[in-house]
Amino acid sequence: MNLLDGSGMSLLEYHVLLALASGPLHGYAIKDVVAAESSGTLTPRAGSLYRVIGRLMTAGLLVDTEPADAPAHPGLARKYYTLTARGRSMLADEARRLKQAAMMAEKRLGVARSRS
Amino acid sequence: MKRLLKSLTRLFPRGFRDRFGEELLDQIEQDYDDARMRGLGAAAWTTLATAADLARSAAAERLRPTWSSHRTEWESGMRSTLNDWMTDLRYAGRSLRRSPGFAVITIGTLALAIGATAGMFSVVDTVLLNPLPYGSVDRLVAIRASAPGSDMPAEFGVSDEFFIQYKEQSKLLEDLSTTNSFTSTARLDDRVERIRMSWPTNSLFSTLGVKPILGRLPVAADEENAVVLSHRMWMSWFNGDRNVLGRTLQASGSTRTIVGVMGPEFRFPNEETMLWLSSELRADRITSPGQFGTTLIGRVKPGVSTQALASELTALSKALPRRFGGNATYAQTIEKHRAVVRTFRDETLGAVSRPLWVLLGAAGVVLLIACANVANLFLVRAEGRQRDLAVRRAIGAGRRNLIWSQMSESVVVACAAAIGAVALAGVSLPAFLRAAPTGIPRLGDVKLNAATAVFTVLLALVCALACGLIPALRASSPDLSRLGDGSRSVTRGRGWTRDVLVVGQTALALVLLIGSGLLVRSFWALKHVDPGYTTENIFSFQIAPEGPSLRTPEAFARFDLDFMRRLRALPGVESVGLVDNLPLNEGTSGSRFRAEGSGTSADAGPRVNFTFSAGDYFKAMGIKVLRGRTFDESDHTTTLGSVIVSKAAANLLWPGQDAIGKRVQMNGSDVWQTVVGVVNDVLQDDFRDAPQPLVYYPLVVAGRPNWAVSSPAYVVKTRRADVIAPEVRALAKAVAPTAPMYRVYTMEGLAKHSLARLSFTMLTLGIASSLALILGAVGLYGVLSYIVAQRTREIGVRMALGAEATRVRRMIVAQGARVIAIGVVIGIAVAFVSTRALSSLLFGVKALDATTFVGMSSSMILVGLLASYLPARRASRVDPIESLRGD
Repeated sequence: MNLLDGSGMSLLEYHVLLALASGPLHGYAIKDVVAAESSGTLTPRAGSLYRVIGRLMTAGLLVDTEPADAPAHPGLARKYYTLTARGRSMLADEARRLKQAAMMAEKRLGVARSRS
Repeated sequence: MKRLLKSLTRLFPRGFRDRFGEELLDQIEQDYDDARMRGLGAAAWTTLATAADLARSAAAERLRPTWSSHRTEWESGMRSTLNDWMTDLRYAGRSLRRSPGFAVITIGTLALAIGATAGMFSVVDTVLLNPLPYGSVDRLVAIRASAPGSDMPAEFGVSDEFFIQYKEQSKLLEDLSTTNSFTSTARLDDRVERIRMSWPTNSLFSTLGVKPILGRLPVAADEENAVVLSHRMWMSWFNGDRNVLGRTLQASGSTRTIVGVMGPEFRFPNEETMLWLSSELRADRITSPGQFGTTLIGRVKPGVSTQALASELTALSKALPRRFGGNATYAQTIEKHRAVVRTFRDETLGAVSRPLWVLLGAAGVVLLIACANVANLFLVRAEGRQRDLAVRRAIGAGRRNLIWSQMSESVVVACAAAIGAVALAGVSLPAFLRAAPTGIPRLGDVKLNAATAVFTVLLALVCALACGLIPALRASSPDLSRLGDGSRSVTRGRGWTRDVLVVGQTALALVLLIGSGLLVRSFWALKHVDPGYTTENIFSFQIAPEGPSLRTPEAFARFDLDFMRRLRALPGVESVGLVDNLPLNEGTSGSRFRAEGSGTSADAGPRVNFTFSAGDYFKAMGIKVLRGRTFDESDHTTTLGSVIVSKAAANLLWPGQDAIGKRVQMNGSDVWQTVVGVVNDVLQDDFRDAPQPLVYYPLVVAGRPNWAVSSPAYVVKTRRADVIAPEVRALAKAVAPTAPMYRVYTMEGLAKHSLARLSFTMLTLGIASSLALILGAVGLYGVLSYIVAQRTREIGVRMALGAEATRVRRMIVAQGARVIAIGVVIGIAVAFVSTRALSSLLFGVKALDATTFVGMSSSMILVGLLASYLPARRASRVDPIESLRGD
């Protein structure tokens, strides 16, 4: 399941986009935010994380930037990643879809519970 | 750890690494450092998880790249090809899963055959192909002697004066040493054991080009006071203590100082050797020349051939009598002497290399048959796909494409088989090695190693090619006309490929069958050789008692007689005796003897072996007493001068006469011994040899005050031979507390052991040939079944037109019989040439034994006919209406 072959967005892709929605982050920070926001269910290892980042960049959902106001990091020229407009709208679409799916689930479970 | 992870990032494609490499490394480092702060366990887990993730994502990235900005044309071309291949393989995997029967049979067949071949390869690789652990092995030779036309054995060891002469005067030898091996007592504090030792000249180590891992090698100044330990001895007796140098130990009756320790790979002259005693051989120490029996190990100068060395050494030996003296017989022997020079590799591995290569060959043949079988199955499978392939071809699939998509199934099968094979070899190799006879050098080192793994993978690829290529090639040019017709048409004509495969299988299976048939007959013959004694219900062991009271032959005799009395008192013991050299375990020494009145001097008389025996040895061993009596107690306590001779010795010394009461004298003694009994011959060393003439002395011999029989083999006849050891051990401990009990055997065990090499080869070849027979029969059955299935319609027509069931059956069986007949003829021809490889293993049967050839060919034909009959019966039950309804 990934964006490139149009089969929908994976959970990790969603969380990476979500992490960047509040502003540019560098790779390691993305990992931390993803871990925190998924309540620890997602702790992407380096290989998987950068593969997802690569995929999202190829799909035009993020770009790498070097913001002027970023805190200087000794010895490391860190790349920051920012959501593109397309990324922002894809995230919004996915969030809507997830919300609908979640509501549907709640409704059915609720119905199922009242029946039993 | 971090370095390992970092190196794993190199698995990613270059483009991805260029863009994300630095960040990847950065994160790996941070992850690791964070985890490390939580403890070692967390660090280890993170390392593992990260490594797995890197490997997985790198593979994924290569197959389905997410980062595309730097992709080159070539890379993308490769990638799409790779993608196609992977798709094909996945498809092949799925389609195999849909026909589990086919998958299980093909994978199982190949796994069995590949496993057997890989296992045998690992044995051959370790034992034969691995270089011997000595410097420039190709320049090492073993030197022995022959004297055609004399009464010496066909080949025998040289004596010490040869060593001196060769070492001083040979211009072709760079170095030379003696070698030997014997069992003696080693004592360290209160640990006492009988172990294998060697007493070579100090030059052994320089000749072989080996160095100690600790300490130094013995030198001339050590005289006979130094000892070099084997790695095994160092570990088991000294726990690998590096301060072992300078310590002393008792070995073979003398106190010796440890000067060095050899590495674990140095095991010479045999695997069991625990230590090497220092010794220097000097010309002035040789008093009586002609004490033959020593094998020399030499290192020749570069470029010297064995023939050149042999003729030089032969020439050098001619001067020996002039230099060292000796009697007339010695001079005659030397006159006829021809040096025997063999490469060291032949000397150490020659005896085992033939059976091992034969077994590897057999495994290879089974593999060939398995491949033929699997190829046949694939052919049948491809046949069923003709229509599908024709469609693919018609809509534009390339030929290469079709070949690959057909091959992919065989690749999947071969890969699965290779995995199965490694598992199989891993499980069965240890069992195989346990069953192997002892005395195969380096067999203990055999394990599944990288070489075996590479070999297995290569084997699997070859199998994939062999099994898949013919069907794939045939499938790649499908008959487009098939598109139009119905699927049940008659196919004829192309069956010859399958026939050829079955002919090949039959021929190969027959070769293996004949080979194993010959071995079975040899084994049978050897098993029914009468060794002159029984092997049932006999327990044997040795002890080497020591003590201040045990100095003289009389003292030892008293000890032995008393000990035997006690042994006889054990419950269930029928009789007890002793012998100095137990048959099948030890050879006997020999000397020249003369019969009284023969007119010759003792040193010109015939060579006869001799040993010592006491108690009810002959009764316990079931050796028939042909004439006279056996020794009684007084023979052992006083020097009455009685001897017992074997039938062969009696015939040799007094041909055609009654030996009882005749007198005999051993070379070097001036005392005459009187023959009191004649006993049946025994096979001393090997069931393959003819019985040697043998003289039995009592424990005390007149004129020989030094001949103490200090460590004889006790022979206990009891139905409890298998279980009596602990009681005997307790008794031995009571009478000789410091003497270790060793060489504990049942005679049955020894007999089995002496047959071990042959029975092992026979068993292995037997398994291989039964596999071959089964695979061959299954192959034939499969092909005929297929043909019957294909010809159902034709058979239906025939039967509708009035053909009888028997005729139909005969027709199908005849088709099978033709294929088998050709296979059998080829198989016999191949066996004619190849059974010669077995001739050194055979006994009592010729390599071209007609009975075996005819018998095995008939059973092959029988099995083949049976395999044809089953499909034939099915054919004869074809319902004409059913078979024609399809059209």
